[in-house]
Amino acid sequence: MKDIIRHKSLISADVEMLLNQQVKKEAHSSSIYLSMASWCDRNGFDNSADYFFKQAEEERAHQLKFFKYILDMGGSATSPEVMNIKGEFNSFREVFEEALEQEINVTQSIKNIAARCHKEQDYVTIEFLNWFFKEQREEEYKARRALELFDVIGEEGTGRWEIDKHVNKITYTSED
Amino acid sequence: MYNSTTVISPSLAEVFSTKNGNVYQSDAENCWYIDFAGKVARFDYRCLLKLKKAVANFNVADLILNSEPAADLEIVFICACDHFYILSIMEIIAFQELLDGTFTMLHLNQMVHDCLYRIPA
Repeated sequence: MKDIIRHKSLISADVEMLLNQQVKKEAHSSSIYLSMASWCDRNGFDNSADYFFKQAEEERAHQLKFFKYILDMGGSATSPEVMNIKGEFNSFREVFEEALEQEINVTQSIKNIAARCHKEQDYVTIEFLNWFFKEQREEEYKARRALELFDVIGEEGTGRWEIDKHVNKITYTSED
Repeated sequence: MYNSTTVISPSLAEVFSTKNGNVYQSDAENCWYIDFAGKVARFDYRCLLKLKKAVANFNVADLILNSEPAADLEIVFICACDHFYILSIMEIIAFQELLDGTFTMLHLNQMVHDCLYRIPA
């Protein structure tokens, strides 16, 4: 009996499902960053708005990377529905706290996919995911550093203006 | 419930059977034939996956506990597929059993192929 399932797809149905969930998470992430950019822009934090616009674009690029991988491996990629995007934040700091939480969620979710891949010995997908792990190192670093600015600079007086000025200067320069 | 009495071509390989239904694979056509609920239906790879997902999504406990005055029948409709099913709760349970067994056997077939042909001893 021919192994039709394997001929049609490199990834298992379970891994395909997890990857599709990740497509949705990245889309959700991109929308949240867009919402944060909007809030920052409305409240006069222009540099932070730019920072979140860039983050939104990056998450969208990640979403498409997952989407294309599923298709390339013979799976069915599903275009996700994105709902319940928070539009209001209580403070400038809260925006960055949620940004960090967002990145932690993404990292944990990708780790969960990798754990499943290890169980199935799907080393092809693990190799694909490695790019994202490296990316998450940078994403979490940037989000954490941005939040630390609130403690380092302080919010009193022109503190928030100063924080906004520094947000775009955060770069990750660790060796590969 | 239906008794399976359909005559199947000898060129088909039996994948999995229960007393309520049978699943056969056609290597020539790269598809599966499902003999269940009184009919034999042909499914390609995509439609078989969609069918499995659709049937697995029924929560049997919820269906049993549902006391609404509605017929205890569920429609399994799969987009871009030629077939649909109207199933009672007992048939849903039987169909879930048949499809779970089928996918387990297909996975086992993949492992056998890996051991015999793909991974050198």
